[in-house]
Amino acid sequence: MKLNVNGIEHQIDLEPDTPLLWVIRDNLGLTGTKFGCGIAQCGACTLHLDGKAVRSCVLPVSAAVGKKITTIEGLSQTGASHPVQKAWQEIDVPQCGYCQSGQIMTAAALLQANPNPSDAQIESAMTNLCRCGSYLRIKQAIKKAANA
Amino acid sequence: MNEIVNVSRRQLIKGGAASLTLAFFLPLKGRLALAEKVTAQTRLNAFLTLETNGQVTFYSPFIEMGQGTYTSLPMLVAEEMDIDIARIKVVQAPHGKQYKIMFGGTQRFTGGSYSIRSSYDILRHAGAAARLMLINAAAKLWNVPVNEISTESGDVLHRKTNRKIAYGQLVQLASKENPPENPTLKSPSAFRYIGKAIKRTDTTAKTDGSAIFGIDINIPGMLYAAVKKTPIYGAKVLSFDAAAVRNMPGVVTVETIPQGVAVIADRFWRAQKALEKLPIQYQDTPNQQFSSAQLAQQMRARLDETGVVAESKGDVLQAFEQAEKIFSADYEVPFLAHTTMEPMNCTAHVTNTFCELWAPNQGVDFVAEMAAKITGLPLDKIIVHTPYLGGGYGRRFYTDVAEQAVVLSKKLGKPIKVVWSREEDVRQDFFRPMTVVKHRAAIDQKGTISAWHSTLVGEGPIGRLFGVQPDEADNSVVEGARHQPYQIANKQVDWVQHKHPIPIGFWRSVGHSFNGFITESFVDEMAFACGKEPVAFRQELLTNSPRFLAVLNQVTEMADYQAGVSETAGIRAAYGVAIHESFNSIVAQVAQVSIVKGQAKVHKIWCAVDCGLAVNPDTIEAQMQSGISTGLSQLFLEEVTFEQGKTVQNNFHNYPILPPHMMPAVEVKIIQSGAEIGGIGEPGTPPTAAAVTNAIFKLTKQRIRRLPIANIDLSVTAEDSTTTVRTG
Repeated sequence: MKLNVNGIEHQIDLEPDTPLLWVIRDNLGLTGTKFGCGIAQCGACTLHLDGKAVRSCVLPVSAAVGKKITTIEGLSQTGASHPVQKAWQEIDVPQCGYCQSGQIMTAAALLQANPNPSDAQIESAMTNLCRCGSYLRIKQAIKKAANA
Repeated sequence: MNEIVNVSRRQLIKGGAASLTLAFFLPLKGRLALAEKVTAQTRLNAFLTLETNGQVTFYSPFIEMGQGTYTSLPMLVAEEMDIDIARIKVVQAPHGKQYKIMFGGTQRFTGGSYSIRSSYDILRHAGAAARLMLINAAAKLWNVPVNEISTESGDVLHRKTNRKIAYGQLVQLASKENPPENPTLKSPSAFRYIGKAIKRTDTTAKTDGSAIFGIDINIPGMLYAAVKKTPIYGAKVLSFDAAAVRNMPGVVTVETIPQGVAVIADRFWRAQKALEKLPIQYQDTPNQQFSSAQLAQQMRARLDETGVVAESKGDVLQAFEQAEKIFSADYEVPFLAHTTMEPMNCTAHVTNTFCELWAPNQGVDFVAEMAAKITGLPLDKIIVHTPYLGGGYGRRFYTDVAEQAVVLSKKLGKPIKVVWSREEDVRQDFFRPMTVVKHRAAIDQKGTISAWHSTLVGEGPIGRLFGVQPDEADNSVVEGARHQPYQIANKQVDWVQHKHPIPIGFWRSVGHSFNGFITESFVDEMAFACGKEPVAFRQELLTNSPRFLAVLNQVTEMADYQAGVSETAGIRAAYGVAIHESFNSIVAQVAQVSIVKGQAKVHKIWCAVDCGLAVNPDTIEAQMQSGISTGLSQLFLEEVTFEQGKTVQNNFHNYPILPPHMMPAVEVKIIQSGAEIGGIGEPGTPPTAAAVTNAIFKLTKQRIRRLPIANIDLSVTAEDSTTTVRTG
């Protein structure tokens, strides 16, 4: 199988039902994408598949072949400079930080599809869990990024 | 725990601290060679090294798990050392005596909201001492009097001769200076960092995917272990059929671990998949009958027993005899899981000569001691790295997963990374204990509360770990129920020990996590029973507690608190209030709540906190938001139940935690009363549930006495359900 991750082609030799998450983390060493639940409930594993936010812990790697995969490490070309990342930094959103890659990837996909989301649209797109309860700053940062 | 600490904190400041701060760190050869690779840097004291390029490394005694210690602790150092905080790299200090700075130099862990409280003086001293060593070194170098020398953000200056030298260039000379015993500390008016909203040092790494958590560790030659402990606590594995999975892709071996089985493979997913296919037989155990519903019943049946007296003031018996009216209410809270977003994991590499661990932990010494015991190696051959924690909340006090990694690596002679599935993480938790409480109050002829008698039935994590004296209450059960600030002449708190047949543990704010809710709900009940408005009732009983009164008044002012139910644009809303002290900080919250489709909707929470002194107000705001989210999560959603010995819940679909859409707006105000410095990581949690349920009562007359409430229909208005035991 060939995988295109952050613009680089990788040859992968694994069972095709392996969740994309584990290929990204353990085979490619891109550990910014996190394991949280394994059942697409928490969103810590969110990455982009052809620009759309997907939960990679339940996505078989075979389903990602021929698609453009972007992880948190590839979200911006240089040093965490995507508007969402910058807003996150300005507001100091993360606490423990474990869920934040997934939060950022979900927010980036939302703003890509809808540059000026309403509160309700933010609410319906942002369902990723955060045990630290950084939700208020996440929302604040999304609005900041939207206005950037 | 507060009581133990107050004493020891005093001891810490009086003695111990100075010598401890300035003791030179003697690096252990093995650890340095293996773990730190120290090159041109020089140690100024136990906490600080300085490199010739001016970079300071701060060896933090406390771990970053979200609460902001990797910002607030280096702020203390930067303040006194007079350097830009950006030049400080924070690493977790290794285990060992020199970093045991809690309780008079005897203990070290990250929890109990202790980090700032335990290190405020010590780290300021460490920074000031380092600065003075640099000044002394420059005085000798330039042959000028020390008092003519000053510093400016990483440089030493001699203004008279217009000379300037960077800290880094002085490091060799400075390290030969004697560490000063009593360096002068900055006056608060000169503070550049302390008290200011300083940006977190870990944000960039936590926004570009580069922050390394334990689960991200990758060691050459490492194998992955997926583990399954017996789902019924205390059961033993009878047998398993390794042959059934041995030929699955990547599987290396199947091993027993304490009370469980591990599948080792070249990739985690392969190990986990094989584990799920592995047939395992368990031995019968009495615990397979365990049901949490039955346990609750047994506990309720003991509410009128005489327990260990945890607090006694006046004559409760007499006051109840002479009362005009007596009433009581029973409360109940369930077992809770921690569900840190980063599931339990640990990587270990055990050889004949050393044991190296990458262990997410809240107590590095606990991990090192466990590893020494299992491997038989001396403590100085144990190296423990503590990466960022993807949440802790008390769960990572326990070394169970680290033990599995050590056992497996020792057996296999290879680096092993153990990762728990979320299902394992929920099932094998150390649960916040279920607790059942009865509060009784007596009202006298004047219509005031003359006596308050509480009975708490349950078991606490302190007693579980350290045991309890026969006549002593477990503080981790009764904290937040006893020693309340309200002036009530006759007061008694009893504890009836009822042991839980499963692991129990510390959970954010520990006993306060339930007593904050229960105590402040019952205070509201007392107000209504006396025919008083809840805020006014509290104010009357707090006239001798000016700090409490100030926090309460602050929060009601912020919220523009309304006593009654208001109606705007067809929405009925009410304000509920709660105030609770924990970890030396007082937090009051007002919740604005309405009922939508039979469920409580929290619109906003106002929060006033008096933590004595605020080091980083931005972190404090974040921690109040965070604490409130935990309070709401346990109020609405969280509950672990047991049937036939096993947890019914095993992942976020049946153990939901607060989702983003349920997070209300939060407004925080920090009061710096100048009182003894208080904790911040936990005190935001205890008052939240009561603030909300006290508002629910105003709207529905339903008194919430059992959590969680997600499945309770609040669309109906109930009769007041307080049990009146006797009237007249």
